[in-house]
Amino acid sequence: MEGLAQLGQALAGFMTAGTLFNVAWATLLGIVVGALPGLTATLGVALLTTLTFKMAAADAILILICMYVGAIYGGSRSAILLNIPGTPANAATTLDGFPLARRGEAGRAMGIATTGSFLGTLIGIFFLATIAPVLAEFALEFGAFEFFWLAVFGIVISGHLTALEDPIKGSIAGFLGLLVAMVGQEGIHAYPRFAYGSTDLAGGIGLLPALVGAFGFSEVLIVMKQPAADVVRAATDRVIPRLADIIRCWRTIVRSGVIGTVMGIIPGVGEDMGAWASYAAARRASKERDQFGKGAVEGLMAAETGNNAAVPGAIIPVLTLAVPGSAPAAVLLAAMFIHGVRPGPLIMIEFPTFVSEVVAMTLLASAGILLYGLLLTRPLLYVLAVPRERLMPVIFVLCTIGSYAIATRVFDIWVMLAFGLLGFVLREMKYPMAPLVLGLVLGDILDKSLRRGLVLTDGDLGPFFTRPISLVLWVTIVITVLLSFQRVRAALARLVPGRAAAEETRS
Amino acid sequence: MTTGMVKADFVTGLVLIALGITTVLASLAMPRFAELEVNPYTLPGLVPGALGLVILILGTALFVRAARAGGWRLMDRAPHRGSWRPDRGMRNLALAIMLCLAYAAGLVGRVPFWLATFLFMTLFVAAFEWPLARARAQRLRRVAFAVVFGAVVSAAVTLVFQEIFLVRLP
Repeated sequence: MEGLAQLGQALAGFMTAGTLFNVAWATLLGIVVGALPGLTATLGVALLTTLTFKMAAADAILILICMYVGAIYGGSRSAILLNIPGTPANAATTLDGFPLARRGEAGRAMGIATTGSFLGTLIGIFFLATIAPVLAEFALEFGAFEFFWLAVFGIVISGHLTALEDPIKGSIAGFLGLLVAMVGQEGIHAYPRFAYGSTDLAGGIGLLPALVGAFGFSEVLIVMKQPAADVVRAATDRVIPRLADIIRCWRTIVRSGVIGTVMGIIPGVGEDMGAWASYAAARRASKERDQFGKGAVEGLMAAETGNNAAVPGAIIPVLTLAVPGSAPAAVLLAAMFIHGVRPGPLIMIEFPTFVSEVVAMTLLASAGILLYGLLLTRPLLYVLAVPRERLMPVIFVLCTIGSYAIATRVFDIWVMLAFGLLGFVLREMKYPMAPLVLGLVLGDILDKSLRRGLVLTDGDLGPFFTRPISLVLWVTIVITVLLSFQRVRAALARLVPGRAAAEETRS
Repeated sequence: MTTGMVKADFVTGLVLIALGITTVLASLAMPRFAELEVNPYTLPGLVPGALGLVILILGTALFVRAARAGGWRLMDRAPHRGSWRPDRGMRNLALAIMLCLAYAAGLVGRVPFWLATFLFMTLFVAAFEWPLARARAQRLRRVAFAVVFGAVVSAAVTLVFQEIFLVRLP
């Protein structure tokens, strides 16, 4: 009851003209950013962080959350109309969204995507409101040992789940991120690692310029390398969703909402896997399995519910553990630190109303996507027609000045360029970016936790392996790593009857 | 997996092995603060050294896998070698990298920000839109548009960051 009262207070506090205006423009901008192929939610949140860092904390974080929710939803537009996912999170949306559009039901597809995104966000919000305070209290039990394993857990799980075809590349990306995070003054003796006399390097690699480079500059290069997209299809049928479609899919909606939220909570996994896992589960459970990929309403609903449910899901570990659930959530975490909010296990003690405020902000953003999604069909079609030759240089100018503006350091422009080129090369070689980002964020936690833990035990590694939470985390890590070996999977398949066939299909 | 990807993995494996070894060596060279009787478990080189080791292991695994798949045949002749010409995607990529680096690493900080942005925007739009038109008049129209577009974007970005966000521009 106390939580509901706090949520009510937070919502009432946001009912001012200024706040609602911020919700309106930031959500719309988010939808536009998401809809434009090449502009991702991470880039949108990162660029907007550089533009809002002089605002009051509550306003800035509200704007960033609206951008985040809006962008993940907005990506469905280009997925349906162009067969190009606006953000990586909408890749599963293309499978059934585009076939629906091709048979003249683009409006219906957009209506389903809007409903799915809205309901997915609501389910995620429900878990955000109920789980976050409990998890924060549970996280008070975390010491250096647990945080060390949590950092390794995040990198390994994120590396595996974001690169299912080649998990080693996910792990490499994650550990490279951790290594880059080692550059600069360390937190115990203030020794400048890998600085080689440069005061800029001693200051460390800024997370935001690195992200703007990895998601902005590299995206500009990828878009310019690809052939231009086909002409946008016009929506001729009704966009307002049919109640029958929603009622028929209620199981899919609930299941995808839960799966999406869980995928969001797992560090560094996020919306992409939220959509894919929901889609796969919906397909397995459906009676019309053969329709999937040919314009199945259930498939589209699952993908869009799953990816948007992952947004509040990814915010849960941000608030309670200071560990991001996805790449855009990593930027959100950085923005919270910039604005003086310290997320982590003490959030309910130091900032008792903040979780309710974030829940209220996400609710407002979800209302925004519902309204825009159903009302602004035609203007959003024009947005998709903006030529990339005109859009991309503007994005690059914003990447450059945005990186510089955070600390007015020209060095940050160099960081942006270096990470842009590195990100481009890695992405061309099929390395996922999410573990790299997670590594950048978790590097400091891993470094301090390992050394503090060792000092506490005077070098005894025992507590790292025997404390209950640590035990669960390292056993999960070991199982995940072992399962990535073909031989282990094959041996397991021989041991467990019924798995052999599945393993054969997989290999 | 494609041959190109196997070769890329082979080279990446080598780069990661070199990075891992360099990191371990650099970590070993980091100060021990023995004169200050610092707890050895807090040494600055501990975690980077461990990470270097992990990168070395992962790099070796990637290298061995790629080598087994034939990635070491880096110099094998590709069938179209000799008549190799970059396709349009690669040409666009090279042009985009050149323009972006010239702007962010060359012009910004050396000439006024508004001028650098104007030049970059105009050149970028003109360079990529020029081949889209065939007739001379159309091309001139596109260049004229690029100049106006560059001026508008440059003015808007400069004003917003300088006057609203109060950023001292480079």
